[in-house]
Amino acid sequence: MEARPMTEIQQVLWELRMDYIGHPYYVSGNAILHALGHHLDPETHAAVSASHGVFVPGQFGAFPEEHTQSGIRPYLGSGLPEVEAYDDLFLQREALHPWLLDTRARDALNTHDLRVHGGHPTLAHETIMGRREDQRKQQQTTKWYVHAYLHANDPTVLPLGEDVLEGLQFGGKRNYGYGEVELKDTQMVSLDELDYSRLEDAETYLVELVTPFVLESEYPNAHDQDVPWWWKEDRRNLREREEKVLMQREVYNLQTVDHGQVVAYEDDRPVETAKSGILRVGSHSKYGFGELRVKPVEPCSNQCQDSEKNPKVTE
Amino acid sequence: MSDVMLIAFRHDAHKFTGESHEDASEEFAGVPVNQSVPEGADSDAAALSRPQHKQEQTVPTHNDHYRLSLLTGETAYDPGEFSRATIESEVADLIGVEDAQMVHERWLTSDVAAAFNESVYHPYTSLKYHTLLVAALLDNYLDGNEFADLRLIVDPPGEVVPFRTVFDGDRFAFRIDAEDGDRPSARLGSRPWRSWASAWNRLTAHPLDTDHHKYDMTLDANLRRMQSWSTALQYVEDYAEWRPDR
Repeated sequence: MEARPMTEIQQVLWELRMDYIGHPYYVSGNAILHALGHHLDPETHAAVSASHGVFVPGQFGAFPEEHTQSGIRPYLGSGLPEVEAYDDLFLQREALHPWLLDTRARDALNTHDLRVHGGHPTLAHETIMGRREDQRKQQQTTKWYVHAYLHANDPTVLPLGEDVLEGLQFGGKRNYGYGEVELKDTQMVSLDELDYSRLEDAETYLVELVTPFVLESEYPNAHDQDVPWWWKEDRRNLREREEKVLMQREVYNLQTVDHGQVVAYEDDRPVETAKSGILRVGSHSKYGFGELRVKPVEPCSNQCQDSEKNPKVTE
Repeated sequence: MSDVMLIAFRHDAHKFTGESHEDASEEFAGVPVNQSVPEGADSDAAALSRPQHKQEQTVPTHNDHYRLSLLTGETAYDPGEFSRATIESEVADLIGVEDAQMVHERWLTSDVAAAFNESVYHPYTSLKYHTLLVAALLDNYLDGNEFADLRLIVDPPGEVVPFRTVFDGDRFAFRIDAEDGDRPSARLGSRPWRSWASAWNRLTAHPLDTDHHKYDMTLDANLRRMQSWSTALQYVEDYAEWRPDR
């Protein structure tokens, strides 16, 4: 029987209930799979792939221009908004979280408060701002969330039930209760039913690495990868970084192209690349590596519209 | 040239003294202050660090020019340390000299400038780094470099390029310039906007050990989350002071 193409992903949003000691950029897909392993039978577990979990502040926000929805929403970071188009998928997958409101101290709300435990920097599970002895009521608490999604090569596996997604812990010192999360929201999204017209309408594109792309791995039988040919020639300037992945209690080193970088895209199949970028490319894609976003290049970017729209202010 | 650069370092003296922009004195400690910076360098630097539309208070419990720390959440205000006389004397040392290169070097190491924000509405921004950015932009513009030519460049520590170095720490320095001379760098973009994380993400190499050191990785993770340039540069400085492992 021919395998049915995998077209659905399950988005998951967890609320951090306790400080997190672990990888400070994200909860790796490997860590999420590892935590799910305690709740799933081996066959189901083997069928599931997980994205990296991105840290999201539970805050007010305004939908970005490219989103299918518009307007300001309270606590945009603490729920899963509807997904109708390709760009909607990325609302909570950028560390910068451009949807945060300018009318609040957005950089303070979006950076992790740090505590030190056992000599390690630890991400606080909430940020408390504006507290003063005499104005206790004015304080604002921002909770942190972890946004991830799952997919499976067997269409009968998803969605995973809430009982499976509840009661997980990520990161180190789990015996002491660190990294405990509570399931906040989950929803299924069909990739084939998304609107890709914003990509189809453009002529030139950029590719942004949402998570690191694995070039080399110490893990047995993980074949080394080349940077995909359709990343234009400036790939020689790509910054690399070493990552570690823990499998069966062994630590393996990975050489990666560091995430957050942007390269020109030189192929004529942006929608296909976009779809494969959601399910990730390269070795270790099952564990969250190699997620990429295709961005159409517009004649005038959002930023330059922004500065034209707004008069210059000197104080 | 030197006189023009002095205007950049002295243009926001009113923020130290708490005067409003409109009522700011023309002189402080015997030197002219609070003059407009030519070439639009002040408004371009402001656009790098704070929203340029409606001005409103973003932290309801904080409405003065003392900076709030992004690292600790605390105000830099300390009644013991910040008497009016102390501030006046430290600010006089900072801006009251006629040698513009020396003034630049004083700003790079100034603690008093780091205790103030560039806007009461955005208390996490830093007057120190705003002023250094104004000077770097102005010097580039006077040299004929346009904003779109400019790059964030990583230099070795202590390698101070007059007016263009905007940060100098124990491990690395940052400079705004048009030529990177094969140092790690990234373009600032076509127009001034709050793009710190975007420039940081596109650097061809990060000056941190993000392969092995948790504290460097955590700093990097937070630097990828910030838009404001002056807030981010100040965070790099504060983080180096705070690190318990050094």
